[in-house]
Amino acid sequence: MEFDWSVIVDATPALLGGARLTVLITLVGLAGGLAVGFVAGLMRAYGGRFLSALAFTYIELIRGTPIVVQVMFIYFALPVLADIRVNPMTAAMTAIIVNAGAYIAEIVRGSFLSVHKGLKEAGLAMGLPMWKVLLYIIGPVAFRRMIPPLGNQFIVSLKDTSLFIVIGVGELTRQGQEIMAANFRAVEIWTAVAILYLLMTGTLTLILRITEKRMRML
Amino acid sequence: MSLVKLSKVTKTFGTVVVLQEVDLSIEAGEVVVLVGPSGSGKSTLLRCINALEPINGGDLIVDNISVRAGRSQIRAIRQEAGMVFQQFNLFPQMTALQNVAFGPRHVRGAGKAEALAQAQALLAKVGLAERGHHYPSELSGGQQQRVAIARALAVKPKLMLFDEPTSALDPELRHEVLQVMKSLAEEGMTMIVVTHEMAFAREVGTRLIFMEDGKISVDGDPASLLSNPDNQRLREFLQHVH
Ligand SMILES: Nc1ncnc2c1ncn2[C@@H]1O[C@H](COP(=O)(O)OP(=O)(O)OP(=O)(O)O)[C@@H](O)[C@H]1O
Ligand SMILES: [Mg+2]
Repeated sequence: MEFDWSVIVDATPALLGGARLTVLITLVGLAGGLAVGFVAGLMRAYGGRFLSALAFTYIELIRGTPIVVQVMFIYFALPVLADIRVNPMTAAMTAIIVNAGAYIAEIVRGSFLSVHKGLKEAGLAMGLPMWKVLLYIIGPVAFRRMIPPLGNQFIVSLKDTSLFIVIGVGELTRQGQEIMAANFRAVEIWTAVAILYLLMTGTLTLILRITEKRMRML
Repeated sequence: MSLVKLSKVTKTFGTVVVLQEVDLSIEAGEVVVLVGPSGSGKSTLLRCINALEPINGGDLIVDNISVRAGRSQIRAIRQEAGMVFQQFNLFPQMTALQNVAFGPRHVRGAGKAEALAQAQALLAKVGLAERGHHYPSELSGGQQQRVAIARALAVKPKLMLFDEPTSALDPELRHEVLQVMKSLAEEGMTMIVVTHEMAFAREVGTRLIFMEDGKISVDGDPASLLSNPDNQRLREFLQHVH
């Protein structure tokens, strides 16, 4: 068969629209996921028995179930259980926040605990409260160690948005699916979709590389 | 009134008793050299004075505050008892100058300009006026330890605790650190120093304490104890470190 470039040209506006939603879900999801992950990770590492157990339960619940099940739960089960009605976009963003949050929590916990305990002691020994030790001393060292695993998680989450096809969010994969259903040009459409994903993950990787280079690893 | 007063201080880790009803009073201006075999509880004693380790029995008063008081009291104790570690523990993301300025800024509430000026003066005092912009990884061990001393001094403590400050250093770098400690003692700083440097103990120390199995077994004048150790175990210990 012939690779028909005109198919791609025609599909471009719709695909770009889908890609825009993918980026939006990813950005909101990761911003929220970072916030949730920092809180849950610090609870795991430094919270008392209760806070740590709470965070542990959340992390294990999320890591132990597929993200498709999580988003289906948010979209279809929550309205039944709690009378909370959400639109597909909100469900998609929430799913990324909750899902990435759990993995990021483990990254945060691991990198904070990997910092040599002498630094914490040096901070405490001069009379700092624990929150200042975490914020000014351990945090900046831990943060540098987080960048590579965080980058990994960002890419995973970006690609996970394609699974939200199951609740009908018009993100990139869904757009590709719809166009293909109309014109049956599988090769052109899925090639274009794949390239758009590569462009997005490539940009992410580039940003992370630059951030990593700018910071001296400690 | 003693600056540091331990009354029957007991410290345990699980079932292991590390400090056994230790009694000790230290007055302002004393330079106490603490020696003893590995595992005798020297580090633990220092860490209890700084409240890094909670005590299990007895009482420990530093500058009229008990380590058994609440959190803010404990922070007050720590500000008065500067600590210098064997492994330096400088903050790696900060330059030497930032390390030293950190305490005044975040513990004593000094302004930025004031903290940096103080820090620069302290670096000059430990002979590192030109090294302020270097990161810890760019300094030798001896230089790092001198920055660590300056960092502890910056908080303006009444008492300095040193836990084997020269043990991680090559012999040729020890001298510069000991020299800084000596001039600190000459200025009248109260110090408790865990060390194997017997020359330092003899020259600078005003008091020598020998610990064994979580107890103080010898406590006296360094010069006379070192030239004529009448305790059998201390004599054996000194033969090992020489
Ligand atoms: N955090 C801890 N948990 C359990 N046991 C500990 C802990 N810290 C110290 N110990 C134990 O307490 C005892 C005294 O330790 P400490 O570090 O005070 O000895 P030290 O006199 O400083 O020895 P060294 O000369 O080797 O530094 C040792 O038996 C040690 O194993
Ligand atoms: Mg020790």
